[in-house]
Amino acid sequence: MSAALLPTRRVEAWKYSDLHAAVGDAPFALREGGHIIERLAGTTERREVRAGDHLVVAERIDGGGGVDARAADFAVGEGASLTRVVIQDGGEVQLSLARVRLAARAKLTQIVLAFGARLARVETQVDVDGEGAFVELNGLYLVAAGRHADLTSVIHHHAPAGVTRQLVKGVAAKGGRGVFQGKIVVDRAAQKTDARQHHHGMLLAAGAEIFAKPELMIYADDVQCAHGNTAGGIDERALFYMRSRGVTEAEARALLVEAFLAEALPESLGAELREDLMGRMRAWLREARS
Amino acid sequence: MLEIENLHVSVDGAEIIRGLSLRVPAGETHALMGPNGSGKSTLAYALSGRDGYEVTRGRAALAGVDLLALTPEERAASGLFLSFQYPVEIPGLSAIAFLKAALNAQRAARGEAPMPAPELLKLLRAKAEALKIDAEMLKRPLNVGFSGGEKKRFEALQMAVLEPRFAILDETDSGLDIDALRIVAENVNALRAPQRAMLVITHYQRLLDYIKPDRVHVLAAGRIVAEGGPELVHELEREGYDKYLRAA
Repeated sequence: MSAALLPTRRVEAWKYSDLHAAVGDAPFALREGGHIIERLAGTTERREVRAGDHLVVAERIDGGGGVDARAADFAVGEGASLTRVVIQDGGEVQLSLARVRLAARAKLTQIVLAFGARLARVETQVDVDGEGAFVELNGLYLVAAGRHADLTSVIHHHAPAGVTRQLVKGVAAKGGRGVFQGKIVVDRAAQKTDARQHHHGMLLAAGAEIFAKPELMIYADDVQCAHGNTAGGIDERALFYMRSRGVTEAEARALLVEAFLAEALPESLGAELREDLMGRMRAWLREARS
Repeated sequence: MLEIENLHVSVDGAEIIRGLSLRVPAGETHALMGPNGSGKSTLAYALSGRDGYEVTRGRAALAGVDLLALTPEERAASGLFLSFQYPVEIPGLSAIAFLKAALNAQRAARGEAPMPAPELLKLLRAKAEALKIDAEMLKRPLNVGFSGGEKKRFEALQMAVLEPRFAILDETDSGLDIDALRIVAENVNALRAPQRAMLVITHYQRLLDYIKPDRVHVLAAGRIVAEGGPELVHELEREGYDKYLRAA
């Protein structure tokens, strides 16, 4: 096996994250078939949330050097719920793949907080198999110079009356690169699906990069789907408004960026967990400022 | 208190304020009136230090301090306050968090310790009540989804909390119904004091029925073209700005 098996930018799903370039020519014993992250991981962790149960999982991805790949499968039963919190920070090449299958009325709440690595990708694939399932798949990326964070997701509605809420927000400092690729597929059978996907990136300085590829593929006719995608700088009017009240420029920037990011923290996480994640973001913002 | 001399301000290379001179002594409230496009808001932004409002000549000082040498936040800390004609929405930041940041930043600039949180909350609630602002609204993101009138009440709230030395009220009456206008005016009047002064910018007499000015200045084409006592308001209301526009 050779590294040539790793995807280059010519592979559509990896167009903003050049895995081949990041890993180089080091040989890998790749498992046959399946998703490239799964093949690199070698094993796939399988977990089940039985009907009516609630599971909360927190994953910290901060491997050292080299390639760290991990893959997990979650099956969420009828009326069950899974809350998944992923914090990715640092490392060389960090790859994470999670597949989540939702039965009828199952609920998935996910928040990914990614600070990037030389190349980090947190990928989530959700299959809405049962009727009336709910997906809240939010993400945050904060990338400093030399860091790359890629949040990729595919949410596939196979069954009717599913609800998807996706809000991904991120900031990139000079020399940092943020990537959002989000696909929502609504099959013909998935009538009455209500899906909303929004990505908003903020470039903190010249020389920051944000790439976004939002995609909606809708094959059903009785659905509500909306998406939005923006990338820009800080709101200069808001910045002046705060400064005119006496807030220093640095503090005003930090508060505005904080407020911008906080919106993507799901309410359902509860105050304590939200505050923990907010604290990590504040620490990053302080460091980015100094 | 506020002294402006021969001020020239350009926006995108076009000169909007063309040699404006104005003095507002401590303890007085002056009105600045003028037709659309005469430069009223440009003056307010230039005094506050907004980017893109380039002062090409002249001077502006507040209590002897050269405003033009300061950053916007330094101007605020030295006591200048602008009530915006169009207050800006701040998504994700509550009015409480906003005012806490503003008040404590100004205290820090004056070498004072931050106000303890319980004291701050008490202060905000009391000032909000005076303006008939529901305390629950203080928790909402500032100005997001607020009506025009609510935004102007929150400007008045910020002014009441920050207690500036000099306040510029830029068309505070726009978007206010008559009841809200009266409430906002009462709160502005409550701030009138011997050591404080105000400049009230407006098109109309209406606001000045409630906030009685000591002097009135008429701005046309970037210059003060007439000055007088409160009676000038009524003359303008009767006769309009035409003769000043022709003269300018």
